[in-house]
Amino acid sequence: MIVLKKARLFDGQSLGDEPVDILIDQGRIGAIGERLKVPEGAQRLDLGGKIVAPGFIDLHGHFRDPGQTWREDIASGSLAAAAGGYVLAVAMPNTEPPLDTAALVRYVRERGAAARGALVIPAGCVSKGRRGREMAEMGSMVQEGAVLFTDDGSPVRSTHLFRQAMLYCQDLGVRIMEHPEELELTGKAQVNEGRCSAISGMTGFPETAEVLGVTRAVALARELGCPVHLTHLSTARALEEVRLAKEEGLAVTCDVTPHHLVMSEEEVLKSGLSGLYKVNPPLRSPADLAALWDGLWDGTVDAIATDHAPYHADEKDLPFQEAAFGIAAYECAVAAVLDRWRVNHDHRPLETLLTALTSGPARILPLESLPLEGLGRLVQGGQANLTVLDLNRVGRVDPLQWRSKARLTPYQGHSLRGWPVLTMIQGRVVFSALEEATAGG
Amino acid sequence: MTWTHHSLLDVDSLSREEMELLLDQAGHMEELLDRPIKKVPALRGKMVVNIFFEPSTRTRVSFELAEKLLGADAVNWSAAGSSTKKGETLRDTAWTLEAMGADAVVIRHGMPGAPWYLKSKLKRASVFNAGDGAHAHPTQALLDVYTLRKRLGSLDGRRVTIIGDVLHSRVVRSNVQAFTTLGASVVLSGPRTLMPREVEALPATYEPDPHRAVEGSDAVYLLRIQKERAEQGLFPSEDEYHRRYGADRELLARAKEGAFVMHPGPMNRGVEIASVLADGPESLILEQVRSGVAVRMALLYLCLGGGSGS
Repeated sequence: MIVLKKARLFDGQSLGDEPVDILIDQGRIGAIGERLKVPEGAQRLDLGGKIVAPGFIDLHGHFRDPGQTWREDIASGSLAAAAGGYVLAVAMPNTEPPLDTAALVRYVRERGAAARGALVIPAGCVSKGRRGREMAEMGSMVQEGAVLFTDDGSPVRSTHLFRQAMLYCQDLGVRIMEHPEELELTGKAQVNEGRCSAISGMTGFPETAEVLGVTRAVALARELGCPVHLTHLSTARALEEVRLAKEEGLAVTCDVTPHHLVMSEEEVLKSGLSGLYKVNPPLRSPADLAALWDGLWDGTVDAIATDHAPYHADEKDLPFQEAAFGIAAYECAVAAVLDRWRVNHDHRPLETLLTALTSGPARILPLESLPLEGLGRLVQGGQANLTVLDLNRVGRVDPLQWRSKARLTPYQGHSLRGWPVLTMIQGRVVFSALEEATAGG
Repeated sequence: MTWTHHSLLDVDSLSREEMELLLDQAGHMEELLDRPIKKVPALRGKMVVNIFFEPSTRTRVSFELAEKLLGADAVNWSAAGSSTKKGETLRDTAWTLEAMGADAVVIRHGMPGAPWYLKSKLKRASVFNAGDGAHAHPTQALLDVYTLRKRLGSLDGRRVTIIGDVLHSRVVRSNVQAFTTLGASVVLSGPRTLMPREVEALPATYEPDPHRAVEGSDAVYLLRIQKERAEQGLFPSEDEYHRRYGADRELLARAKEGAFVMHPGPMNRGVEIASVLADGPESLILEQVRSGVAVRMALLYLCLGGGSGS
């Protein structure tokens, strides 16, 4: 039994002002109320006004398992995600081999369930081998626990296949998460098309490549009446296409990443073209960055998803063009967003950010088939999957101390304010950075 | 003023005063080139490694001459015949060079940012960027401003038009900064398919019509057009390029009277420049080459010689 004393409760929608106590018993929220009595033998954690929220959900993480476990594996990624405040993380299927069969999906689900941090659950490929030609066995993968379908790392290469797959998985209750990118426009691209490409002389990812990826998915969703999720949107114009689709009433959802919310192409230039900042989609203009925040505040953005992309240092510590695409961030992603919110946006409601980490992503997943109950909500009687946030904690990012296998990140050395300090899954503490808990009454 | 730099990655690290100090120093160095015995012992005992990951003749030879004329020991690390081809990382190459005791590394690399990367891995040695991808070529820019400044006295309020493949040019990116640092303005021209989307970031303005772009210019600077750009579909043919953008007498006549013609070399005669201009009295092209040795001598002297400049 654990009693969380003096918590500010975020229930998935609104943030309470008055501190409450939360009793956790047998993996469930036994009671929520003012000045709860701490039962004999229960552990008491004094939160002193820290926020208690439903456990954070990440729709987009790269666990590199199977096949690339020198970068990360499910055990290390799970601990890293938990330390970042996440109770659940969706593993992308661009592994080696790609997660395109029921057996591979089962492998990830079983490893994910056995891991000691966040629960890791698999997304399956849309196409066999992620090659974009033939449909993968999506029905069988759903039976083994796949919660999204994506060829992430790439868009679904064939529009015909995309259309068929969208129709086929409509009855499976699992939606496609599309990586929107028109590959014809991004062949050798390295950085944002704009100031960064102009100054660096490197080939740019034009905004149009992302816009075409989005409009293709939106057109299919409109024609077929199917839901679709667009991941890691990075440009103002692509976000505007989603805004219009939502106004039209289409079941189109989207997420943005922490790095696109806090870094722009200016950081790439300032770094002397450091490979640490290389990511697809690229860090965009400051105007795009501002538009992503606007999209959060007006509800266009449904979720913040990390796109945690760990690599071995030897794959990132290279001149820009030779470095791999991707930013590792599990252990500081939430802090990076909270820090920026505090600096630039604290006149905006914190609830919106917390929603994008909890009930927002929960709505995109097939909740009834998840191993955790009641994700995205925090109510009496519900399962105790929760995250404690300390908005005032200041910490410096040091990837050498990470649970993730990644040792390089552009956040290195950043001093950030606002950190997850405790993560609990089914009443079990899987991560804690709180002062030594005081036992007894 | 005191010279504080030990390396040169791009010209944007130099203030106007620093750049002028360096150009004045280059003037002294150029006088040396006229002496019967050109060599001075200013950098005796210093080891400079020239490491070129891309083929280059004039820049490499120019650096090598500058190093030798100052008495440094110049070593050419040929990337083609080295372990680079066997897959050694630039990091390991950097540490190997330092372990051998190199005082300075002159690097040409196809990857933008490679000299910055090299610098970040070296504890002690100086790094000189001899061109990285389409990103920067600071010594070319310095020799260009040196050459034109020598002819015009000052670049304040002057106007330079650069025509050609801006998109793939490391020369233009450094040149725009160097010219604007010294008070000149730069107009770019050429087909839109060979322009970055945001030329104002360089910072320069764009005028698609080369005949209008050269109006009022003190110098017309042509960039090399590589054959494969037409094959990549960036423009239809070299012939059409020459008709629309190639520099000839008619184009030069639209510039300011007495305007100079410049080119970083090697030239494609009959494509970006007609021979009548390349070999004409307005051409500074060979002076640019000569300036290159003097400017690189001045740079090496200031950065490695421990001198406090003038």
